[in-house]
Amino acid sequence: MNDGERRTKLMQLASGAVFLAIVVVVALIVLNSSNSDSGGDAESIEGAAEVSSSLRGIPQDEMTLGDPKAKVELVEFGDLQCPVCKGFAEEILPPIIENQVKNGEVKIDFRNFTIIGPQSVDAAAAALAAGAQGRGWNYVELFYKNQGAENSGYADDAFLEAVAKAAGVKDLAKWNEDRKLLRPQVEETTTEAQQLGFNGTPSFAINGPGTQGLETLGTPDSTGAFEEAIEGAG
Amino acid sequence: MNYPSEDILRRAIAFVAALGVGVATYIAIVESGGGSPVCLAGGTGCRTVAESSYSHVAGVNVAIFGVIGYLLLLATAFFANDLARFGGFAVSLGGFGYSIFLTYIEIFKIEAICQWCVASAVLMTILFLLNATRLVAYGGNELQEAR
Repeated sequence: MNDGERRTKLMQLASGAVFLAIVVVVALIVLNSSNSDSGGDAESIEGAAEVSSSLRGIPQDEMTLGDPKAKVELVEFGDLQCPVCKGFAEEILPPIIENQVKNGEVKIDFRNFTIIGPQSVDAAAAALAAGAQGRGWNYVELFYKNQGAENSGYADDAFLEAVAKAAGVKDLAKWNEDRKLLRPQVEETTTEAQQLGFNGTPSFAINGPGTQGLETLGTPDSTGAFEEAIEGAG
Repeated sequence: MNYPSEDILRRAIAFVAALGVGVATYIAIVESGGGSPVCLAGGTGCRTVAESSYSHVAGVNVAIFGVIGYLLLLATAFFANDLARFGGFAVSLGGFGYSIFLTYIEIFKIEAICQWCVASAVLMTILFLLNATRLVAYGGNELQEAR
């Protein structure tokens, strides 16, 4: 084959490769856009294994995570629909859970402060009902991982139940019953947050030997700020 | 048309591919340790991207494929024959196409941008342009004369 023929052949191969690449990329994008939304999808709850491995071995009592005898109690007032709370759960709090909670220094109590919409209350009660079966934190963390757009209607019964299943809630009938019964508790913690002067989520408060009762922290913006607060309260 | 000499193209490919090996190796090592690449300026996109289901294909971190791709591209820069020219073109085309897909996923599905992935996508785009130029200018040409 002379240079000219080789060149023609190569260019044909190259054109074929370009055509193939375009077809494959377009196909991949089309396939992936068909199950289009990110989060809020009851059909595909993601991250269950990750959540359960990050919480493994840490005691849970209702909505409290950590050793019940821990000297310091960090209280989080959150709304499951709130994207900033999701950010805190995924970026700022994990090192605290990994270190100070696991070593028994602090326990974290999640209290619902529902400010976004009616489905926030449904979600909050669903989390409390999971908490009644020792899966409260799995529920909260998994909800955040699969959170949809605020008030877009994604947090319906199907979604809440899918999260419960993925969070490892064993008795779904009881969970269903409990989430109706526990709704008043959502109102109580929401009122409590307002009385503490909070007007946004997430808001935090801390209680320990170094504090005078429950002291408000507002919304610390870094893991380091939490570590300092915990040290000050201990 | 005046093309740069194949020598210059090969050097450029080797340089960019070496940078690519560095970036992909960094992502692969950090993620194999269960962590995520550290975003510059304290962004959180890298962690979100690294934890998404798209960061692995068949259980293998996509950064591993990246390392292999960049190494292959680096290798093609050391040879001045049609196999290297076409091989470099084909690998960079695959990498470029996959980068387009991943960037689409980042923007529309994960809704987070990881600067390291963007860096890799930019490097892969440059490599594709360099390799395409090399193939068009010197393909089928055992002597290194531009057509």
